[in-house]
Amino acid sequence: MGKQKARWAAAIALCGALLGLVFSAYSTVDYVAHLDRQLHDVRCSFIPGAAAAEAAENACRTALYSAYSAVLRDRIWGGIPISLFANGAFAFFIAFAAYLLVSGNRAPRRGSQFLALAGCTPLVVSIGMAIISWVELGSFCKTCVGTYVASLLVAVGGALGWWLERQAARRGPDPARPDADDGGPASAQTPQKLGPASLILTWFALLGLFAVAPALLYHETVPSYAKRVKGCGTLDSAADPKKALIHFSSAGATQPVFMVVDPLCATCGVFHQRLMVEGIFEQLDTTLVLFPLDSECNWNLTTPLHPGACVVSEAVICGEERALQVLEWGYEEHERLLAAGKAKGGDKRVLAMVEARWPALKGCIGDQQTKKKLDEMIRFAVTNKLPVATPQFFVGTTRLCDEDSDIGLPYALRKLAPALARR
Amino acid sequence: MNPGAIVGAVVGAALIGGALVGVNNQVQAAQERLRTGITAVDQPKVAVADDAEADYCTPKFKEVLQRVLHACGLISGGRRGCKPADVQRLAAISDDEFNDLFAPLQERGGVIMFADGSDKLDDDGVKLVDELWEDRRGARYFFVVARASKTGTRKFNQALSHRRANSVKFRIEDHFKEPDLEKKMGLMWLGYDFAQLGTDYCKWNVSKPGKGCNAQAINRSAFVSWVDCRL
Repeated sequence: MGKQKARWAAAIALCGALLGLVFSAYSTVDYVAHLDRQLHDVRCSFIPGAAAAEAAENACRTALYSAYSAVLRDRIWGGIPISLFANGAFAFFIAFAAYLLVSGNRAPRRGSQFLALAGCTPLVVSIGMAIISWVELGSFCKTCVGTYVASLLVAVGGALGWWLERQAARRGPDPARPDADDGGPASAQTPQKLGPASLILTWFALLGLFAVAPALLYHETVPSYAKRVKGCGTLDSAADPKKALIHFSSAGATQPVFMVVDPLCATCGVFHQRLMVEGIFEQLDTTLVLFPLDSECNWNLTTPLHPGACVVSEAVICGEERALQVLEWGYEEHERLLAAGKAKGGDKRVLAMVEARWPALKGCIGDQQTKKKLDEMIRFAVTNKLPVATPQFFVGTTRLCDEDSDIGLPYALRKLAPALARR
Repeated sequence: MNPGAIVGAVVGAALIGGALVGVNNQVQAAQERLRTGITAVDQPKVAVADDAEADYCTPKFKEVLQRVLHACGLISGGRRGCKPADVQRLAAISDDEFNDLFAPLQERGGVIMFADGSDKLDDDGVKLVDELWEDRRGARYFFVVARASKTGTRKFNQALSHRRANSVKFRIEDHFKEPDLEKKMGLMWLGYDFAQLGTDYCKWNVSKPGKGCNAQAINRSAFVSWVDCRL
């Protein structure tokens, strides 16, 4: 076996594992910071540890809050982040690659075989997560991509090492090229041993131990939130005497909720998507309160935070039985709609975009009755003294605390609405 | 012994140990912040949704309306509406000052005009009352300030302006079935005793535009408007 080449393979795996440990460690730190139930910045860069992203709604936050970022999320507040498993696994791969790198010819051939096999596991997980990111979340988080690349390097290093080992085994010892560079004179004449197959099992057991140890410690030390999740206030009056609020529910929906949203609020869109992905939305008997953060119609603002949101809100009202579709369209297109709203003649531009997509709503948007309904929705917020913020989510009439709406959502919902079963 | 095995074992032990210590420290730090309520990042205070507060809501305007609202039963409950003597006493300002307070409502409100000696809302009056009522936006209170011209006795005109204010109230009550109307609508009837309108009010949003508006006609009226003030 070409000793230098084999060492290159181990070095590649070592680099990948180091990179993976750094990215997964940053993900873990970001995740664990949220255990204080506060809002935190999230690192999101290909450069490990680079300054946290300013924009709250970035792909890393989407990934962090998603159902796929942790396990046991409905039993433990925040769940156990999967990055913890990655931490342990990459730590093991660093140690193992260092072992192969230093040992050279002294390491049994089983070592290369094991690294080739076990090195695939992070890659398999990464491929699965990448597919989820693409299909379910619609975005790739840079920190996650960093971990995917690291996993690829570990797998490549492992596969290359095994291939070189196979080549060397076929050739047999090369008497013309005594190897004196791999661990001392003793190894120069010694062919690389195969080693017992049980070594592979032992190393897999060690890998498993490394992978679960941080998660087990986390499970044992994570604070109890049982008494903390009680909701943040209640609706003073959930009555809707003028039938202004929008109602939608799926067949079999059991849990009444109120959602206070702005159709151009990115966080609302992310929250909505999370309810969908986690299989919660279909169980909700939803009453929608539109609260556009746009001073054009909302007297609680002096300047528009989301220009054009009043027009899109009216479109949602006009959508009637398709209100949910119009709302989801607003979430999907919020960046374009906001850009149009901020330009000169903003509301007209937004109206043109809405009418181009939903021609049936022409004539209804801007109508006095539509405006009146929107006023009534905003008045609902006044009557209930709601914060001027979106989204707000009420389980029954109990408001879900903002601090429970990110990684603690499944746990908080399970506490506030035990009937909500996870998909 | 293979030095590679030693290196691997030491590196592995160090890394897993470091990972465990790091996780433990991070969790403990978060737990401490959770326990003490110390925030890692200062969060901006969020306003609470409230009634509209327009620029015309000057302290004087709000003071007068506040007194009237309290005394006339809107806020504290009890009797409905204020008669001329009450308004004059409560407002504690001159006629012109009283009218000036309402001047910023030119765009927001309207003047419902009545026939001589009548308290009946005609079609134009009904239309304008409905339009103004429906254009609530973020306002909390709806004011009706009814007047009468100087034709006839003081007592007759006080009663007439009272009936005119009630005509507006009954229209809204019957047509819109508004819940808690009593808590939203402030009625004042002034007869001809206090704060008569000048002919410049003929240029406001009147229910009979261009139909013989003069010093007498403009006071056979009820001024109605939502008031966008937090009182």
